[in-house]
Amino acid sequence: MTSPLLSVRNLVVEFQTGEGITRAVNNVSFDIPAGKTIGIVGESGSGKSVTSLAVMGLLQKPAAKIPQGEIIFNGQDLLKFNDSQMRAIRGNQISMIFQEPMTSLNPVFKVGDQIAETIRIHRNISNKEAWDRAVDLMNQVGIPNPALSAHKYPHEMSGGQKQRVMIAMAIACEPKLLIADEPTTALDVTIQKQVLELLHKLQQQYKMSMMFITHDLGVIGDIADDVVVMYRSNVVEQNKAQEIFYTAKHPYTKGLLACRPKLGANPRRLLTVSDFMDDQGVEKHVSPERVVVFDKEQEKEKSSEILLEVKNLVTQFPIKGGFFGRTVDHFKAVNDVSFTLKKGKTLGLVGESGCGKTTLGRSILRLVEPSSGSIIYNGKDITHVYAEELRLLRRKMQIIFQDPYSSLNPRMTISEILTEPLNIHNVGNSKQERLDMAKQLFEKVGLKLSHLNRYPHEFSGGQRQRICIARALMLRPEFVICDESVSALDVSIQAQVLNLLLDLQEEFHLTYIFISHDLSVVNFIADEVGVMNGGKIIEMDKASSIYKNPKEAYTRALLSAIPKGEVKSDLSSMV
Amino acid sequence: MKENSLWKDAFRRLTMDKWALGSLIIVLIYSSVALLAAMGIIAGDWAKEVGASNMAPNGDHWLGTDIFGRDVLSKVLRGTQIAMSVGLVTSLIAIPIGVVLGALAGYFGGWVDDLITWLYTTFSSIPNIMLLISITMILGKGIFAVYIALGATSWVTLCRLIRGEVMKHKEREYVQAAGAIGGGHFRKLFLHILPNVTHIVIINTSLQFQFAIKSEVILSYLGLGVQGEPSWGTMIDDAKLELSRGVWWQLAGATTAMFLVVLAFNLLGDALRDSLDPKLKGK
Repeated sequence: MTSPLLSVRNLVVEFQTGEGITRAVNNVSFDIPAGKTIGIVGESGSGKSVTSLAVMGLLQKPAAKIPQGEIIFNGQDLLKFNDSQMRAIRGNQISMIFQEPMTSLNPVFKVGDQIAETIRIHRNISNKEAWDRAVDLMNQVGIPNPALSAHKYPHEMSGGQKQRVMIAMAIACEPKLLIADEPTTALDVTIQKQVLELLHKLQQQYKMSMMFITHDLGVIGDIADDVVVMYRSNVVEQNKAQEIFYTAKHPYTKGLLACRPKLGANPRRLLTVSDFMDDQGVEKHVSPERVVVFDKEQEKEKSSEILLEVKNLVTQFPIKGGFFGRTVDHFKAVNDVSFTLKKGKTLGLVGESGCGKTTLGRSILRLVEPSSGSIIYNGKDITHVYAEELRLLRRKMQIIFQDPYSSLNPRMTISEILTEPLNIHNVGNSKQERLDMAKQLFEKVGLKLSHLNRYPHEFSGGQRQRICIARALMLRPEFVICDESVSALDVSIQAQVLNLLLDLQEEFHLTYIFISHDLSVVNFIADEVGVMNGGKIIEMDKASSIYKNPKEAYTRALLSAIPKGEVKSDLSSMV
Repeated sequence: MKENSLWKDAFRRLTMDKWALGSLIIVLIYSSVALLAAMGIIAGDWAKEVGASNMAPNGDHWLGTDIFGRDVLSKVLRGTQIAMSVGLVTSLIAIPIGVVLGALAGYFGGWVDDLITWLYTTFSSIPNIMLLISITMILGKGIFAVYIALGATSWVTLCRLIRGEVMKHKEREYVQAAGAIGGGHFRKLFLHILPNVTHIVIINTSLQFQFAIKSEVILSYLGLGVQGEPSWGTMIDDAKLELSRGVWWQLAGATTAMFLVVLAFNLLGDALRDSLDPKLKGK
């Protein structure tokens, strides 16, 4: 066997912080053979991105130090290279695709120029040739009308198209190694599928090696040959992809595989990493009742009482145009939507970005004013209530937002954040009583009481989402809208939060509207599912029926885009 | 993990920067001098004749004496009190106006924003020093006119900055979350958004302070400022005639005093921006 293209040996990366030295990567070794794809999987903070930055030589010095290890690329140790030697390698022989296509492109240059620039840095060719090559690359990555699109600015393209442009830039110099750092995490599932297929195709075509970094083991089943699983700065398991998927050995890997909701049958609560191992990383025996498949159909009706009825709801935004900014037209974000929701049930709303699902949620809560139609809550029309009545209504209806980073006020402590709703509504007689209520819920969502006086930035994403959930429940609402509440979280954390939402639903008899772009998540948590496209609900049915016999082509497309969490058949048959 | 508030964090970063720490110390020294002078503990007898006219700096009078035989050091210290009081009073007038108008304009938008934007663009389109001169003309000469004139003009920058920052924050999810739990406009704007923009006020005040001090010096130099009290501006004005006779100490004392405090406030402003502005955090 020939020597691998990239070989990382005993790599250690340490960061100097205010509190001392933190080891982000601990003794990591792996190989990437020429023409193969390896997936590096792990949750946020596991050291996977730091490893990739070390390979690119992009670690921030002097904060980061590499006291030990080798990164052998093409027979040379990259760690011994100086800056100018590294620049010659970067973008030329090793290139990288980042997670966030929205911010990785320079907004003031045409995308064609940005691709051409990469080529001109490394190849001695004329502007015209570079531009032609850029157009050709855009064609290869599947951007429609490349000759015209090359003249576009980044804001004129969709997220998926921008990620394609990033890929075109990355492969512009036909690199030997492509590093993809969570390239699909910010994208909708349907776009994610297209981008994954594109990467796989290009990898085969250019015979590149690829290092694919993700927190979601399900995503790489389709494309990776080998998988490296990282947990708390260490490699805990590495093997061929099919071995990982079918006979995972480390409990953490098993946990990662189990925590993603399946489209068909799921246990009553999702399995999480903590079912497989304890805090010290010691393997636990999974209790048999945790894996029993739960059939929603069998469950008896919780109630038949209708809590919420939405009739012909339309929410439109004016489109300004003309010289004086007149309203020239209206954009209907929500277009004639009707449904009913029973008490104690969960309605799932799925659709891609821009389908109107978020606006629908906010219109129901009257955070955005609907243009026409009516919202009947508990038998009362709330479409036109104002001031005090609306304030009282807010006690009953709550929302949990998508981004746990921006939805907590950074200047308030957690106890202030949690007691604020009580202060607004004069619940509780004294400060102490309010604090006690906050403590109760804080423990209920699984956080430590001693952390109550901390500020939001001291918590991780999953913990912050728990705080948001606690805040939403402080007023003991009946009805909660979860707007993409788990989309920003790692899959392993996502499972924990989904379980928490179900536990709380049972305990407090909550009714949910669960908004998400991920059909497998919605299928797990919801009793009924509405599929949205272009501001309308195009299909609505019981969760299990939508999965078994989707009626609309759009629903089928959404379903087929979900990563299956298993190895592609053609790949496994090759072995 | 320690319990760290954002402010404590910022203060720690500030004190780690030795230029910032030095500037902070200079500002504190100037403030103490101003306070002591205001209470009459130091430089209370600046008007007394202590020696011959135009004595060069010596052991008794470190900065010499002026034409009337008054101690120049005492005059510089007394001038410090005037300069710092102008900075302080100007800030006390400008901050409430700038913050309230900026916050209202940014938060409510629409005609409120139009009105306030019109107001501050009008103010900022008039050359600053001309406006100051015309206000002192109307109110008459003296320190009170200087306070009003500077206060009335220096809210504009702060208002513009706060407006933009509030506009950005009002779309944030934590503000929407406050609305979702039933919080009204007052709560959203003053309890949620404002604490998140206070760093702008602090940074701006530091820079505004030195602008006010400079303006006071200019106005006093032009004879529109304080009357019957020593000011760095009047001292520089006096020095015009004295310099030809080789009397340089009055000019040197006043300009050095001004130079140091203006420089310190500028450096402090930059350091505050680095340590408080969340955008630059983690840099």
